[in-house]
Amino acid sequence: MGALTDKYCIVGVGETPHMRPSNRTTLSMACEAVSKALADAGLKPSDVDGMTSYQAGDSTTSAAVATSLGMRLNYSLDILGGGSSTEALVAHAIGLIEAGYAKTIVCFRSMNGRSGRRMGGQVPGGPIPIANAEGDNQFNMSWGWTTPAQRFGMSAMRYLRDTGCTTDAFGEIAIAHRLHASLNPKAIHRTPITMEDHHRSRWVVKPFRLLDCCQETDVAAAIVITSREQAYDLRQPPVFIMGGYARTMTDNPQWNYSRREIHYVAGNYGWKRAFGMAGISHSDVDFISCYDAFTFTTLIQLEANGFCGRGEAGEFVKGGRLQIDHELPSNLSGGHLSEGYTHGIQMVIENVRQLRHRADDACPRWAEGIHTYDRKAGCRQLRKARICCGMAWGYENMASCLILRGIAA
Amino acid sequence: MPGPIDYTKLRIIPDFDTREWWEATRQHKYLVRQCNRCGHKWFPPTFPACGKCASMDIGWFETAGKGVLYSYVVVVQPIIGAFVSAVPYVVAIIELDDCREEDGTVTRVAGVLTNDESEVAIGLPCEVLYEATNDPKIVVPRWRICGSAPNTWKFEE
Ligand SMILES: [Zn+2]
Repeated sequence: MGALTDKYCIVGVGETPHMRPSNRTTLSMACEAVSKALADAGLKPSDVDGMTSYQAGDSTTSAAVATSLGMRLNYSLDILGGGSSTEALVAHAIGLIEAGYAKTIVCFRSMNGRSGRRMGGQVPGGPIPIANAEGDNQFNMSWGWTTPAQRFGMSAMRYLRDTGCTTDAFGEIAIAHRLHASLNPKAIHRTPITMEDHHRSRWVVKPFRLLDCCQETDVAAAIVITSREQAYDLRQPPVFIMGGYARTMTDNPQWNYSRREIHYVAGNYGWKRAFGMAGISHSDVDFISCYDAFTFTTLIQLEANGFCGRGEAGEFVKGGRLQIDHELPSNLSGGHLSEGYTHGIQMVIENVRQLRHRADDACPRWAEGIHTYDRKAGCRQLRKARICCGMAWGYENMASCLILRGIAA
Repeated sequence: MPGPIDYTKLRIIPDFDTREWWEATRQHKYLVRQCNRCGHKWFPPTFPACGKCASMDIGWFETAGKGVLYSYVVVVQPIIGAFVSAVPYVVAIIELDDCREEDGTVTRVAGVLTNDESEVAIGLPCEVLYEATNDPKIVVPRWRICGSAPNTWKFEE
């Protein structure tokens, strides 16, 4: 067990709608998300004395949000980072509160990820007219190999070759996460899909089809972290932080392609730490989230985090294992593939809602924790949601994890 | 053959760590970085120290520009203007034949193949060739399949 296991809690979550386009500034969206997360926790802005955010040079700052909402902060930090940052900033918040730098910390991500700067690099109207190949990007840009889909596709292709897995395993993940989005009124894409739909989906970069790729959106989201002692008095059932790992890297982290196996990704180096800290085993996990920038990233993280053996993930996901009411439900809000792309933070938010037993679904009394469990009527709350393992991906070489439990666990 | 790459839409800007590499490609030489202390080789040259012994006393190793195709992707949707006419094009990872080290360390590089995707399979031997651009100072290495091999693997749609 970790020295701080269960001593810190996530007590508030909130987000804007997923918009395409938002026609708003990242500051406006960040203020909405932070305000909603504080209101969810039952906190006033003056109750919060720490703020962190992550971004890719594409967003507002803690200072701007604090100014807007009239907050005086004892701690603030805005980091460069995408996927796997949320979980790292949660770890960071625990250390800060433990050491006395702040008492309660809100962490946000705000991005015009569709209408503004897109992670794939596309600009409005189509391909980049004139591209500068310089710095870290000079080689990759020179050979037309820049986007996350193009980069991760290289590891995916080799994985297919080394394991005998087929793209139907990717389809299983797209289908499961879309099914969950169909139960989420906030999701961008809510129409369930079949394996045939996956087969018919157009190629973006082989081995990835369009349905293997996430939905870039304009969105902001925030979470609030505080100590257990503070958490008991707040509005929501606390969700306890059991353990994790934070932006763990592989060897050779910036040139994956000379590594012995390019699909032996960062989670392999982290999961024993996370599960050891949490004091649990995989069989204790009721549900997961798994960073689905692409279907493949979910697939590879399952084996990287020990849910199945090396090369077994393709078999593991067969038969709907990741779907609600099956063995290991994954990304219950629909994830990046179907709800919308938030650089990972919404997966933590959905996990918190599930662990509180308050998934914001079609059940009329969800806010009181009363659900029908009728999937046809739009209920997406798990019956048994006590422990969740959230797995996050930056790229092959960087990963985070956050194991959480609800109050009933 | 994939379509042409329009280098007028790509500005390649060498820097302190890479200037000599681009100078070598102009002379049709394919370099990788090499540690002067322990002999370790690596790519890309953007990393200015040895990943094995951390020495910053580094030089270059001229490879024969031959290797084996380790993995690939087929870009169907172009993102960069320079590659709009090239799609579908294959970007490959090539494991260089003459950069294997005693402890199993390998050096892999990447590049755009001149072959169609139908000709491509993991495990095939490849060799470098050099493509002039509109900028006389910049020559870009490309790769082509140069033979056959047993036990190759091809992506099946
Ligand atoms: Zn060395």
